[in-house]
Amino acid sequence: MSLPERYLLPPSEEEAVFEPPHILPFSVDALALETQTLPKFTAPINVNVREARLLNDPPWVRTLGPLEMKVQTEGWKFPAPLMDLPPRPQRELTAGPDEVPVPNLPDQETTKLHQPKIRSRPSPETVLIKDRLLCLLQPPIDHLIGGKPVEVPFQPFPYQLEGIAFLMPRHAALLADEMGLGKTAQAILTIRLLIQAGLVKRVLIVCPKPLVYNWVRELKLWAADLPFETFETDIEQRRSMWLVSNCPVKVINYELLTRDAEFLSDPRAEFDLVVLDEAQRIKNSDSKTAQVVKSIRRVRSWALTGTPIENRPEDLINLFSFVDPGRVPPDTPARHIPKLTADCILRRTKEDVQGDMPAKIMRDITLELSPAQREAYELAEREGVIRLNDLGDTISVQHVFQLVMRLKQICNFDPATGHSSKLEQLLADMEEVAANGRKAIIFSQWVEPLEVLAKALEQYNPLQFHGKIPSSQRPAIIDQFREDPSRHVILMSYGTGSVGLNLQFANYVFLFDRWWNPAVEDQAINRAHRIGQKHPVTVTRFLTQQTIEQRIAEILENKRRIFMELLEQNGPPPVLGLTEEEIFGLFDIQARPRKVA
Amino acid sequence: MSDLVTQPPNVGFLTVISDGTNYLGGFLVTNFWGRPLEFRLTTAVQPNRVQQILYANTLAEYVCADLIGRTLIEKTGTASQLIVTDNLNVLPVRSRLEVPVVALLNPELTNVSDLGITTHPRVNHARSQSPLLIDPRYPDDVHSVPLLLERLDSALELTEPFTRIRDAIAEARKMGVTSRAA
Repeated sequence: MSLPERYLLPPSEEEAVFEPPHILPFSVDALALETQTLPKFTAPINVNVREARLLNDPPWVRTLGPLEMKVQTEGWKFPAPLMDLPPRPQRELTAGPDEVPVPNLPDQETTKLHQPKIRSRPSPETVLIKDRLLCLLQPPIDHLIGGKPVEVPFQPFPYQLEGIAFLMPRHAALLADEMGLGKTAQAILTIRLLIQAGLVKRVLIVCPKPLVYNWVRELKLWAADLPFETFETDIEQRRSMWLVSNCPVKVINYELLTRDAEFLSDPRAEFDLVVLDEAQRIKNSDSKTAQVVKSIRRVRSWALTGTPIENRPEDLINLFSFVDPGRVPPDTPARHIPKLTADCILRRTKEDVQGDMPAKIMRDITLELSPAQREAYELAEREGVIRLNDLGDTISVQHVFQLVMRLKQICNFDPATGHSSKLEQLLADMEEVAANGRKAIIFSQWVEPLEVLAKALEQYNPLQFHGKIPSSQRPAIIDQFREDPSRHVILMSYGTGSVGLNLQFANYVFLFDRWWNPAVEDQAINRAHRIGQKHPVTVTRFLTQQTIEQRIAEILENKRRIFMELLEQNGPPPVLGLTEEEIFGLFDIQARPRKVA
Repeated sequence: MSDLVTQPPNVGFLTVISDGTNYLGGFLVTNFWGRPLEFRLTTAVQPNRVQQILYANTLAEYVCADLIGRTLIEKTGTASQLIVTDNLNVLPVRSRLEVPVVALLNPELTNVSDLGITTHPRVNHARSQSPLLIDPRYPDDVHSVPLLLERLDSALELTEPFTRIRDAIAEARKMGVTSRAA
């Protein structure tokens, strides 16, 4: 049986000529199929093919994505650390031994164990990513110092390492640590690290003349591998050192620097870093010293001073005209100064950093003048005041000063008999100092009393260190005082001995007479009360009752109190020395200078 | 070879930081004191789903060693005589290099068998607070690595530079460097 034709597809044109397709037999018994004959298909048929695209492209289908992974990099190459420093110049221009005795300091192992990692961080002024990364990628300061590349005679204190971490990244910095905390050592170690890192190559250190030897000693102690040279008096040598020498560290005093201003205009006299020690020397912006210092071509400028504000807030503004010219405009109100300078200043006091530092015991001894002194004093004051009043409006502050000086000298010694109540007390105190095997420093404003004291204290083998002692002999005197146990006392003038010297092996300081400015007295005291001191330091300040000394001391003490209050508020202190009005107020005089319109 | 004997070695510190989906590499080359000579970092690598499927459990090793580690080392101009990594997945980069590679083993890990490192030779040395793992395919490194470490400055401790690298990467990210490079 075959299927009816209507169930079959109509044949195509080609098929139409062939036989009908063969159909397999199947049963249709169960189906009720309608059968009917269909007409035969004869017309040709055309097949149209239309493309229907699959949705295999984005966004209908997600791509597999790249099978291969790629990565991009960015890199920075840093200056090569200096492996071999040039040899130290043959011409050793400074006196003093090469081997510097190492101060006997507290147990170093204990200090090291408790030290945290101290790392340098980029300062806000560091803007280049490369510079910021270089700073962050430096090893911790405490790893570097004490390792083979930066061998040190003893481990610096943690706060000193923090000081180094502060200085390292900074182009403008004022390290204003209190006297005796080791600013010099911090600066030298930072210089050493920067030179080793290849970040600086030429360094100039400017310091007061009496401190050149101290810098030499400290350089030998803290940077034995670092070549340095000091400027001497021969001008041709100096010309060569300014313009030819490639020694990485040069030390010059302020006076010579001022004389060498002509060399500074030469482009060869350029430095990567200039360090100003006792930077308060440029507090007067009109001085030639300040002008010359600021004219030095330099990349980095650091100032070191324990008294950034010696008299007026303007002192700090003038310091910053060197540290970072333009940062603090000259007419900036005092209250705005801290905000402008905070990033660049680091100041720590002994109380801040050194809980275990030996105490400083202040001992004010108020003495009666001897009868001979009292008689001479009252006569001098009476006559002096009369003379001042007679001057009328031609009086000047210098006239008053002359009287003050005269009276202060009488407070030290009676000019006729040589009697001195201060000397009597001093002799008694010195017995105790010597008996305990200790050493003492005695300060005076004048050389003459020191010479008198030298004779009176002969049994204690005194040494003298003041303006009459030639500079060339001074280093040897300090060495002798340090090393000779029979030398119990050194007599110093404030002017020569109050700054920069490290005399932490002395435990007694006597201020035989008082200086005009407490900051200078502090400097003097801190020769002994400084880092490395192992015992308490007793400071004795002599004062004679009912004299000009007492009147001045009261004014200064009052000012010191105000200074401390302001400093604690990070504000500027007022004038610390005596003002003109205060000097006139020391005596009961009516005369005043004529005011110039 | 004579240079390796006479010149103090430079050390490359290679890290790959990963949060599970992103990988970012940093490479610091220092001299034997630990002073930085060159630093290089990568853009962040984020494998897609297909890559994760295709690379399966070899993904981390491929990204850390082949992609990031090798690229960083090849693109860095300053040669290192020893590579130190704090990421175990970087260790196989040794097979692409001529210099020894060591991985710092985190001392806090107690069950090292979980990390599949039981067969890794170890070196203990004073320059490292952590044991150092060596690629087992290079057993000779067990002898050469201590000799190199001896020539490093005693103040250089091998785990410390990774703190610096992480700080530097954080700084670079803060300043947009890693996205810029991408």
